[in-house]
Amino acid sequence: MIAGKTWREVRVMAFAYLVILELLCVPVLLLWPDIYADLQRSALMKNLGIDWLKRIGEGVTSRDEDIAYLNWCAVMLFFRSTNLVGTAAAVLLGTGLFARERENQTFESLLALPVSRGRMLWQKVWPPALCLVVPVYLVNASAIFWSRQIDLDLPKWELFLASTHAAVFMLLFFLLTTYLSVRLRVQAHVAAGVGAFAVLQIGIYLTQRIRPYSIFHLADYEWYSPVLAGNTPAWQMFDPIRSHGYTTWLLLACLCVYGLTWRALHKAVP
Amino acid sequence: MDPAIAVTGLHKAFGERPVLRSVDLQVARGELLGVVGPNGAGKSTLFRVLLGLVPKDRGEVRVLGLDPATAAIAIRTRTCYLPGENGSYLQMTGREFLAYAFGFRPTRDDARLARLQDGFALPLQQKVRSYSAGMKQKLLLLGSLVPDVDLYVLDEPDRALDASVRFFVRDELRTMRTLGKTIVLSSHHLGEVEALADRLEFLLDGTFVPSTRLAAARAALRHRPRIRLRTGAVLPLGAREVAREPDGTLVVATDGDPMAWLRTVPDGTVDSAEVGIPRLEDLYQVLLAQQGAAP
Repeated sequence: MIAGKTWREVRVMAFAYLVILELLCVPVLLLWPDIYADLQRSALMKNLGIDWLKRIGEGVTSRDEDIAYLNWCAVMLFFRSTNLVGTAAAVLLGTGLFARERENQTFESLLALPVSRGRMLWQKVWPPALCLVVPVYLVNASAIFWSRQIDLDLPKWELFLASTHAAVFMLLFFLLTTYLSVRLRVQAHVAAGVGAFAVLQIGIYLTQRIRPYSIFHLADYEWYSPVLAGNTPAWQMFDPIRSHGYTTWLLLACLCVYGLTWRALHKAVP
Repeated sequence: MDPAIAVTGLHKAFGERPVLRSVDLQVARGELLGVVGPNGAGKSTLFRVLLGLVPKDRGEVRVLGLDPATAAIAIRTRTCYLPGENGSYLQMTGREFLAYAFGFRPTRDDARLARLQDGFALPLQQKVRSYSAGMKQKLLLLGSLVPDVDLYVLDEPDRALDASVRFFVRDELRTMRTLGKTIVLSSHHLGEVEALADRLEFLLDGTFVPSTRLAAARAALRHRPRIRLRTGAVLPLGAREVAREPDGTLVVATDGDPMAWLRTVPDGTVDSAEVGIPRLEDLYQVLLAQQGAAP
């Protein structure tokens, strides 16, 4: 019942999110041949002053168009779409889950239902989590179709791996938002809290020396590009012992935040 | 048979502020208990402890034979609770809200549903956001009274309802009591709860007022009629003004029997008089005064 109600609340937003992701994806893929030609002619991308921007520039202007296209997809589909739009959607979907119940004075009725708090949390979380994750796979799958329209190919397995990592990254933001939604009483405060966290992380990311300490470092161009190129096999993504295992670390972080949220909801009083 | 509710020595504080202090309460199965008290007396906190929504600090609590600290879900499965400060899901229609509310407790009394739907005449196909405050309260009452459970805990069920609807709800609660349902409700309408409930408990500063003290307060109030004087009239001898309400009504204290005093009042002095009908706020003031005077 709770899951059904949550689904009714988020379905419109989820559909809008899917449409926005797709609209962001289609033109940058279909216009790739022209963009690539322009990039080849432009000296700007190769002479960017900041190291990581320079690496992006070098990647998307590679002489091998297939590699340049993969790098372009890493930037546009993942670094831009899922990181920015996905994170914004995660915050929008998570903000009201519990804080809105408090604002509408329905929180006490919710807690008084004959349902355990653990089940309540799960039923509140999984519909928006699915709404967040499924469009990533759908849009990235559609990228295969759009790429064929310009006679280029995207590797399915590598695209799936990158989508999985992006989905876990967004889930982490969504769960952080949900945690604050349980702790705080006003939706605006939740949004401000997560927004401040995101801005701080972006600030760290844009600062050369401390960039590795930003959460966005776990899901940037330099992460997605080797995955799409097939240079980061699945075991490296998931094995935190023999390799960096970033995806597993993100999953563990998701579990930790979910646990904290569960604990906060257990302690919540009307 | 176990009582529906058994509370002994219940203490609850929020930080340094005690809200419930050594509360003892027994409610028999099939009983309709009215709990009255001023705002902040601890009524809502007591109900929340009973439902396991707020943990107790000390004391023994059993609801339907179960401990809310360990069996809250089992208690809530057999209980319907209407919180005092309760909002509605504005984006739902009335019908969607009821489907949601009934979904958690599958057994419901269809005859009661039909009666309440008829009596409330709510436009269930409309969104709740278009409802007035009274209509929202009626919808919440539908959601709380229709499921067929053992215990109903209703925190101010008459909030935002006009008199005719309050009487209709009162009749329905009477019917439920005859079916053996246990009902605990709070209200600020002292007279109406008194007429409805099997027993009335007065919660003041986190503890129930003993019946002897309540009886003494009522007796004291019997000597405090409410009168409205005609324009230009002065208060006749034999009574003194205790309070003046914003609408001009005077609460007066008489030396002897107020009825005898009223009979001596000259014609054309008093417009209206009310004797022996205690109001919650008056009762509260008298009890507070007694508390201050107590050694």
